Amino acid sequence: MNILIVEDESRIAKRIERMTRDIFGDALQSLTHISTLPEALVFIEKNSLDLVLLDLNLNGADGFDLLTTVVSESFHTIVISANKDQAIAAFEYGVLDFVPKPFNRDRLEQAFNRVSTKEKTENNKIKLLAIKKRGRIQLIPIEDVLYIKGAGVYTELFLADGKKELHDKSLEKLEQLLSPTFERIHKSYLVKISEVNGVIVESGSKYMAELKNGILIPIGRTKYKDIKAKWI
Amino acid sequence: MNLRFLPCVFFILLLVTACSQSSVYNKNETVFRVGDQPEWAAPDWNDQGWGKRIGLVTEGKMYWSRTKINILKAPESLHPYGIQLDVYGEYEVFWDGVLIGQNGNPGQEAILQPEGKMWASFSIPTHLTEEGEHLLAIRSSLYYFPDHYGIYGLKMDNYDDLLNDRLIESSYMHLFAGAFLIASFYFLFLFLSNKKEYATLIFSISCFLFFALILAEFMKAYVPIHYSLHVVRLQIIGTLMLGISFLIPFYFSMQFPFPKRKLLLTIYAGVLLFIFLSKPNHVFELTANNMALSMWLFSFGIVVFGVYKRMKGARLVLLTFLISVPIGFVTPFNKSLFAGFSLILLGMFYLLSLRIKEQRLAYENSLVQSTRLRLELLKKNIQPHFLMNTLTSLIDWVEESPKKGVLFIEALAKEFDLFNQVENQKLIPITQEIALCRTHLEIMEYRKEINYSWQEEGIDDKQKVPPAILHTLLENGITHSLPLKDNSIKFKLIYEANSHYRCYTFLTFAAVVERTTNNSEEGTGLKYIKARLTESYHSKWDLTSEPTNHGWKNTIKIYSKGT
Repeated sequence: MNILIVEDESRIAKRIERMTRDIFGDALQSLTHISTLPEALVFIEKNSLDLVLLDLNLNGADGFDLLTTVVSESFHTIVISANKDQAIAAFEYGVLDFVPKPFNRDRLEQAFNRVSTKEKTENNKIKLLAIKKRGRIQLIPIEDVLYIKGAGVYTELFLADGKKELHDKSLEKLEQLLSPTFERIHKSYLVKISEVNGVIVESGSKYMAELKNGILIPIGRTKYKDIKAKWI
Repeated sequence: MNLRFLPCVFFILLLVTACSQSSVYNKNETVFRVGDQPEWAAPDWNDQGWGKRIGLVTEGKMYWSRTKINILKAPESLHPYGIQLDVYGEYEVFWDGVLIGQNGNPGQEAILQPEGKMWASFSIPTHLTEEGEHLLAIRSSLYYFPDHYGIYGLKMDNYDDLLNDRLIESSYMHLFAGAFLIASFYFLFLFLSNKKEYATLIFSISCFLFFALILAEFMKAYVPIHYSLHVVRLQIIGTLMLGISFLIPFYFSMQFPFPKRKLLLTIYAGVLLFIFLSKPNHVFELTANNMALSMWLFSFGIVVFGVYKRMKGARLVLLTFLISVPIGFVTPFNKSLFAGFSLILLGMFYLLSLRIKEQRLAYENSLVQSTRLRLELLKKNIQPHFLMNTLTSLIDWVEESPKKGVLFIEALAKEFDLFNQVENQKLIPITQEIALCRTHLEIMEYRKEINYSWQEEGIDDKQKVPPAILHTLLENGITHSLPLKDNSIKFKLIYEANSHYRCYTFLTFAAVVERTTNNSEEGTGLKYIKARLTESYHSKWDLTSEPTNHGWKNTIKIYSKGT
């Protein structure tokens, strides 16, 4: 586990650091604390991370600028903030969890469990997916996304207007964030359930999900039973 | 708005009906002769040799006047005609040779006390008022004003109407005057309760002068004024006119301020005084007329300027000025004067009501603003960014180092206590404000683990400042600063004062965080400071906020006088 803590309150940063070390134990490979926004951005660019713990109010700056950047990255983000009213917005941007201050070890552990157990958020609050495009961050509304295809460590977002965009997060991570609006029907596909018109059985017991716009997406053999139980 | 003009409309109608009655007689030219012969009363006396003018009638000498009058219509039965005279002197009145009345003691003025009145009405026996030519002869002496011979006013009508009409007219005018008297008192009291509002005082005085003017003009209907005192009355009227003619443009100059106001007003006052003192040929009406005209022209200029500058209420006032013009042409002078004045006073009244409304709104706004600021101050300690971060740190201290945790709690308790003390005040002693800042630093030291230090220079303990303005600057300083290499941030408060201003300079010595995005949190902080400064010092303050090579610099200047 490579973890970055972005927090400008020194005492709180130490607390997070101590608890994180305690919870992850040997699984922790690196743990870094940074207290300013520009330094954090540089660090994220240069290092490979698994998790970022982010305070949204850094030296009076608007943390949402940083938030859009971090959520477009491949790692998960957990926000630790004093402003509970930022929670909804944070979830809309696609953070894995929002830990309100003051927090204790249990609450932090609960958040970390989501990372390690690949637990799904089940909150349905995410509204936007941030992607990096030509060096800038672009926000794509979830309602425009029809399905997502895994492509190695990246994913491809297929949009309603026929366009295709790349996202840095893996299909597993997006599945965590997008469930239950999206369903993993294949090891390489995540489909928005509301877009599925029906299931077509092809020869050789191949199952295909037909989307409203006619596109066919394969359904994994192992997934079919679950899906059938859910949909029919 | 239209309702406000209703009384004026009534007044104008009254004037118009009063002026449009058809006459029952016509009058020939009056001829005069110095001397005293009883035969001169006779209708058939030959007055061919009499003059239209005679010289001075000095030392109470007697003189006679004869006026031929044609009665066009005989009176109805039981409604005898009367004659109303406006004549200087003490005299006897003969109608067709018959003595019909006496006003004072002609010829004996030097010996006896003044008796009689300027305006007198006499009943004429019915049998002497047939249609046709009649003769009015007046036997008169002019002890006090030897050059004021002649008949200044003559009116013939039903005797009852002659008496009643004047009383009715004057009673209406007195009602009118009463309204202005009440307005005058009302606005005087309004002024006394708020002595800064000179416009209300000016308006109150104008209303009172107008009340006095109406009284002076119309009291002749019921107060017998001897002709020797008539000039005194005219002088009083002239003086009242002078006052009103100056105050009305003065009032408008306050409501619609224009450049070079003092100079123009002084020139105008000079013009008025010149008109007042020069008294062309002792014709008082002309003096009053000239003053009214100057007043109208100058005020009109001011109001036009107000309209040009789009000042509030100027258009409506301009309208009242324009309306007063046709009234001036339609009605005789003394009536148009009152109609015009009252219209203009109504315009002034309207302006004043506008201003009062503005003030009330401003006051209500200030109340709302004060409440808002108080809430904002209270919020400082419970806003989540402060409270939750503090509590999180506190929990950590308690868990890791309980003794330090207790000190932290004590610092927090002290800041809460200080906030409670200043919460409902507009100004607090600077010492209290500094205590607030120091406690805040103590708390932040536990949270941020940075060595904060506080320095003061030249602080005057007697000074007061709005609550939490330095505290807000300090908060901004903490938020936007990174510690120096030795993990310290230093704040310094410097106070300077001279006869023009008092100045607080607040310095932050730190590595400043680059302010990349527009910063809403700092924005609200500065807004709070500005609102507090405005609340206590109106516009007499200045706030600057700028980076320096050592960190950040804020200055708050409070001026002694208006800028």
